[in-house]
Amino acid sequence: MADQQVSRDQALEALKEKLGVGRDKTYAAMGAFTTPEELVEAGKKIYGMGYRKLDAMSPFPVHGIDDAIGIPRSKLGWMVVCFALAGLFTAQALMYYVGVINYPLVIGGKPLFDFTFTIPVTFELTVLFSGISCTLGIFAFNGLPQLYHPSMKYKISHRASDDRFILVVEADDPKFDVQKTTADLKSLGAQEVEVVVG
Amino acid sequence: MSQSHSHAHHTDSYSLEASRFNAGRNVMVFAALLSVAASVAGYLSDPNRFFESYLIAFTFTAAIGLGAFFFVQVQYLTGSAWSVGMRRVMENVMTTLPVGLILFLPLLGGLDHLYPWMNRTLMASNKVLAAKSSYLEKDFFIERSVVYFVLWTIWALMIYRNSIKQDTERSAERMHSISRWSAPGLFMAVVVGSLASFDWLMSLMPGWYSTIFGLYYLSNGALGFIAVVTLVLLSFRKNGILAHTVQEEHYHDLGKWLFALTCFYAYIATSQYILIWYADLPEETIFYRMRSVGSWLPFSLSLPVLRFFFPFFTLLCRPMKRKFTIIGFIAAWSLLMVYMDLYWLVMPNFHAEGPAFHWLDLATLGTTVSITGLAFWGRFQKNKIVPVGDLRLEQSLHFENV
Repeated sequence: MADQQVSRDQALEALKEKLGVGRDKTYAAMGAFTTPEELVEAGKKIYGMGYRKLDAMSPFPVHGIDDAIGIPRSKLGWMVVCFALAGLFTAQALMYYVGVINYPLVIGGKPLFDFTFTIPVTFELTVLFSGISCTLGIFAFNGLPQLYHPSMKYKISHRASDDRFILVVEADDPKFDVQKTTADLKSLGAQEVEVVVG
Repeated sequence: MSQSHSHAHHTDSYSLEASRFNAGRNVMVFAALLSVAASVAGYLSDPNRFFESYLIAFTFTAAIGLGAFFFVQVQYLTGSAWSVGMRRVMENVMTTLPVGLILFLPLLGGLDHLYPWMNRTLMASNKVLAAKSSYLEKDFFIERSVVYFVLWTIWALMIYRNSIKQDTERSAERMHSISRWSAPGLFMAVVVGSLASFDWLMSLMPGWYSTIFGLYYLSNGALGFIAVVTLVLLSFRKNGILAHTVQEEHYHDLGKWLFALTCFYAYIATSQYILIWYADLPEETIFYRMRSVGSWLPFSLSLPVLRFFFPFFTLLCRPMKRKFTIIGFIAAWSLLMVYMDLYWLVMPNFHAEGPAFHWLDLATLGTTVSITGLAFWGRFQKNKIVPVGDLRLEQSLHFENV
């Protein structure tokens, strides 16, 4: 077990070296819980203590954790709606330009431009723009792709994708203090509390 | 899983108090007496108008029952947890389907006026109609409708009976048994429901056809059903019933359904319009031609705006779906729009010059809604108002949107 930890640390250092990332600064104090309920409960309490730069890591979405640690709703929807409208206008403009200006051609006695027959294309382009912007937006808003993150230095960070629910108090929180925050996390029942430098 | 959820739900009573039940029943009995009397008076003074209005009122409540029938079965098949707390209300709407057969009977007196295919010389006059004349025929028409209602009744009552037994049994086997009924039941709802809509509404113009018409009618029913459930639950909430069982999170989901079904209706309506517009065949375009003359034109043009764009943009943002007043308003609005849509399907066949509202529209609607409402309300007397034995109930109480 100890050997595994050492080789993991070495691999992470090598990765940092290779990518040229990591500031070797204190990143956060991290602690693990065994159930999602404990995580939400601890999240609420630590938010109540005045910490604001909080994060949580869990193997699956935990209902209520966003509210508990004060994470605002994603702005992704607003971005997607803008792109959806852009798709809508693109489709209408495209069909008007092609059908009326660039190459007017009467087919089956239909008008050169009519909202009726443009609906399918308009619908599809609106959906296409929304879908693509949403996918790219998820990557951009989450800072992906990201090959290294300081939280990986936490010795049981890999269990956040298995059976642990990890609460993070980041070091740039104004209330952050190595001794005090560690003690706070422990007082909430966190296990494996550790100050992570990365 | 916030604190308020885990502590508060124990305070809800899962039975309806006798006084509240009686109060609701008395209101509905009074409404039924009043509207039946008005309808009878209307029938005596203007039978043709009575049957026109009554057809709309009948298809309105039948559509909502069908929507419930479809939706309850989908909840069982998908194993939905979010809806368990309100599912008994949904099931009670579903069990109003058998009443449809009784409400269907008055139409028999008006077949001659309503359906051109009753005229056998007309049906023999051209090739297209002649080919349909053995299907669109009085006895067969009545037999078909009876068969539809019998099938729906068997399925709806089987599911309901099992659900009531589950209240005391709490068995997984019972749950699976309902799912087994639900899979063929979807066929009963969608395919048989489509056939019913062809009979009751599409055959008002025997020469006209649209294969998507069944879904058009059923999408109206599904939207109307979600709207009814929302309104019933909101009025429950106002009286402190199930206030902790059905919360903001659940209304949020009902709001999503109102939104989704509004879009679904628009999708179906647009598909129907585009295909007919593009093919440009006289026997198909006549449907829209009839609806774009006289004062039907502004009516037709306002439908997409009032039925789609207005509720669509109202419900688009998340906070709007979580406000009780907004959800309640849009639910009531959707019900009105479903009625208007059926009005738009039926009335141009009889009043070519434009919509002419009549007090009989209200009286007949009052008749079918209050009688259906009594069948719905009666289920609350004996049985629990929440499926207390459902294994997912606890999960439903703690449900939260991500």
